[in-house]
Amino acid sequence: MLTLTIFLTSCAGVKQLEIFKQEVPREKLNLNSPKPLELENLRWIIITSNNAEEVFKKLEEQGIDPVLWGLTDKDFELLAKNFARIRNQLKITNDLLDKYKEYYESEEIKDE
Amino acid sequence: MFGSMRMIMIGVMVAGLAGAGAYVMKLRSDNATLKANQIKLESAVTEQKELIENQKIDFKKILDANNKINQLVNVLKKDLEDLDKRFNKKNRDVGKLAIQRTETIERITNGASALATRCIEIASGSPLTDKEKNATKKSEINSECPSIANPNYIPY
Repeated sequence: MLTLTIFLTSCAGVKQLEIFKQEVPREKLNLNSPKPLELENLRWIIITSNNAEEVFKKLEEQGIDPVLWGLTDKDFELLAKNFARIRNQLKITNDLLDKYKEYYESEEIKDE
Repeated sequence: MFGSMRMIMIGVMVAGLAGAGAYVMKLRSDNATLKANQIKLESAVTEQKELIENQKIDFKKILDANNKINQLVNVLKKDLEDLDKRFNKKNRDVGKLAIQRTETIERITNGASALATRCIEIASGSPLTDKEKNATKKSEINSECPSIANPNYIPY
């Protein structure tokens, strides 16, 4: 009877619950933010059939080679719009990067 | 005969008592384990609740970030539309204007070019100057990209 009692009580045991938790933090990327651009201002010269001679003369007087790279008014408009698009894309990309940093780095601060 | 019966009875009683004792000990041990399990479960429930709360906060942050980026895309789109208007407003022909008023258009072009250059610097992360931050009038703003250069300017 003793053997039977011990045998039965041992079978009906409650097992201890074990919860395993092991977190290994990922290494931080820590890349430096790119330095903001510092650009040079351009000088635009408008040349028409009326002022062409005067423009080239002025250039020579200023010691600048009398040669100009030209754009039509339509191409100038396209150039302006292209630059605006590049600027917008740059702004969106930088802001996206900031949002990612803000989201993930604030998480890391919270976890620490 | 009677003696051996008594011995058996005593043996049975001792065995019974020992079994009962072992059973009680086992129950005590089980009880302690169950209590420990209960504490762990309660702790797990609390952790789950915290996790759900954190997830809610994260979802809100994600939504806010999406909204802000969408707003930025829209204001930048408007800047581009404004640029288009400057070239083509009321069938304006910049080429003809440049022939008629060459010096004026050259001055305007150079001014706008300088502003557009500054816009690219700002877009690349250059901090805003106080003048740019405090601009509220049309005459004070960077007309090429007021949405990113002049945060306090409200178009009127």
